[in-house]
Amino acid sequence: MATKRRRNLAALGTVTLVGLALSACGAGGGAVPEATGDASEGTTTDEITFWDPYPQHTGGTPWDDLVTSCAPEGSTITRTAAPTADLMNQLTTAVREGNAPDVILLDNPAVPEAVSAGLVAAADQVGIDAAGIDENLLGPGVIDGEVYGIPFGSNALGLYYNADILDAAGIDPASITDWAALEDALAAVTEAGSEGITFSGIAGEEGVFQALPWFWGSGADLSDLGSADAVSTGQVMSDWIGDGYAPRSAATDNQSASWDLFLTGEYAFGENGSWFAAAAADSGFEVGVIPIPAKDGGVAPVPTGGEFLMAPVQSENASDHFANAAAVISCLTEGDKLLETNETLGYLAAKPDVRAEQVAANPLWEPWAPIVEGAEGRTTELGAEYVDVSARLSEALQVSLNAAGDTAQVETAFQDAGEG
Amino acid sequence: MSSSTLPARAPAGPRHPDPAVSPSDHPRRRRPSLSPRWAAAAFAAPLVLYLLLFYVYPLVQNFSMSLHEYDRATFVYGGAPFVGFDIYADILGQDRFRRIAVQTAVFTVVSLVVQYVAGLGLAVFFRRSFPLSSVLRAMFLVPWLLPVIVSGTTWQWMMNADNGVLNRFLGVFGADPVWWLNAENALMAVIIANIWLGIPFNLVILYSGLQNIPGELYEASALDGASTRQQFWRITLPLLRPVSMITLLLGLVYTLKVVDIIWIMTMGTGTSQTLATWSYSMAFGKGTSASIQYSEASAVGSVLLVVALAFGLLYLALQRKQED
Repeated sequence: MATKRRRNLAALGTVTLVGLALSACGAGGGAVPEATGDASEGTTTDEITFWDPYPQHTGGTPWDDLVTSCAPEGSTITRTAAPTADLMNQLTTAVREGNAPDVILLDNPAVPEAVSAGLVAAADQVGIDAAGIDENLLGPGVIDGEVYGIPFGSNALGLYYNADILDAAGIDPASITDWAALEDALAAVTEAGSEGITFSGIAGEEGVFQALPWFWGSGADLSDLGSADAVSTGQVMSDWIGDGYAPRSAATDNQSASWDLFLTGEYAFGENGSWFAAAAADSGFEVGVIPIPAKDGGVAPVPTGGEFLMAPVQSENASDHFANAAAVISCLTEGDKLLETNETLGYLAAKPDVRAEQVAANPLWEPWAPIVEGAEGRTTELGAEYVDVSARLSEALQVSLNAAGDTAQVETAFQDAGEG
Repeated sequence: MSSSTLPARAPAGPRHPDPAVSPSDHPRRRRPSLSPRWAAAAFAAPLVLYLLLFYVYPLVQNFSMSLHEYDRATFVYGGAPFVGFDIYADILGQDRFRRIAVQTAVFTVVSLVVQYVAGLGLAVFFRRSFPLSSVLRAMFLVPWLLPVIVSGTTWQWMMNADNGVLNRFLGVFGADPVWWLNAENALMAVIIANIWLGIPFNLVILYSGLQNIPGELYEASALDGASTRQQFWRITLPLLRPVSMITLLLGLVYTLKVVDIIWIMTMGTGTSQTLATWSYSMAFGKGTSASIQYSEASAVGSVLLVVALAFGLLYLALQRKQED
């Protein structure tokens, strides 16, 4: 009996010891990541790691070739891609474990959170030069006056239209400069037997991105989701579904699904991004694009789209890692390469002179340049708080789209969001 | 040649205990009392280590995470403040939790009951072999064999509110189209898909259970004049009880933790949010909210674990009662 008890005690002791040893590992056996290091004191290393949110650009695609061609003399770049939400989580774990990549390309609404969690180093430390980049596009990369990352370019949202359908209904796209004119156009095309408009109202950031031009265009402000203007945004989108102008699947469609619907040729309008501009030119019908109208006339500000180049915080040899980052980032964003970077991804450059060059070379970009220049950063006003505001706006939008026009439900949803 | 090997063998040949050897024999005889214990420990060690590494450690970490208030920064740099059961109190006190718990219960119970009844019906049906019965039975396994991403996306297409095949089908009977994936109907939509997904599992296990019921029982009861219905209620169902219990328990655990089919179809929007999808969305900052909530996610995960454990213990208790 006594030996049995002793044996149990011994087993318990072993378990505890192993448990302690394991939790010690979990707490980070190596060095703790620190905000130290300076690119000017480091030298580039043989292997450079680069993470981006473009899993669609696999090895050997033009983007992959472009990134790997930016390796400094004697180095090779290994590129890894994951969707934005996963990339952010992988970055979090990597910084914690001390094996973060040299360069991270992160979607702009995630930048303030990455900065506030201490995942990325300041541009000064890394030796990233933000000179010449448009202020509105740089906005999401500036937190408390400090620059953390830079965009090479931006994409934006516009209102694509099917010229054949508008012609048949006798509508001049140039006349659609406010919500009322759009409403009339939608009524006219559906009367004529076509479908109205496709957009992406999927839950989460993607749907919020698509709703923001209407939200800002109504005069609403992200700091007050319960305002009458904000309610009118939810109402106009809810009515599109209620009146049968938009498909009910808009509540679950992402931007690709919404684009596929527009490409069927049945819809008069499709709210979508400049990244589809080239694909639009190849569709079987004539596609044009107009800026998204504001409620009372004029062009609605659209959210800036696109990613930021940054260097994660490192646990060891930070200066060398930063030197790697500086070399790769300057390669992608300076000189002739900036044009190549943007053309490869279908973006408009973040520097005005290069953007002008793109527009001059390709008339496809002409309608998009002013939209990009008038765009606003999603997180510029709210910083890291944006993520929560966006979540509440997303919930209100989902309720609105499901309400299919019911004014009481839309109003309650936005007021709840404003209080949350 | 052989003479040179023989003398060497000779001492080992006779099995008589040699008094000269006996002192060295003592430790050999005492060893059995010690070495089996160590040998047993050595054999068990890999398993114990495995359990500690991959079961105990993650569980302890998960529980510890739900007792500390983590955010992204403290997850990386450490120093998350200990808050005891505050996060549990906060989560359990939310209206949202109560709503999602009810949805989870509806999802689980309706899925389980319909899957079981349909699976049992099919199993009994297939018990009587008929031409092509094995081909048909194999075809019922298709939902199980398809990757969930494929079946989930297909269900999403079929349930499209404007031109999905399901609404077209309902239209044939003059029914109004249903907006399957909107907030209100989302729970029903994912339950339908999940039932379809779970029937093969029930069919396979219950069918193999039926194989173990001796045919003589049916013959004997038929001689005594029992109807088919009586045979089912008096023979099939009682003898299938142990198999039914394990099927329902496994089904319950699977259904409680379902994320994939719901996520693919609705991303947990509206009424289709369950405790599992809620925990997943908070743990990884996916879905409606991109803000990551490690501690809340682990608290909900722990609640789910406790529920599954409770049913596991209930199963053990029922099993013991049956054995007595």
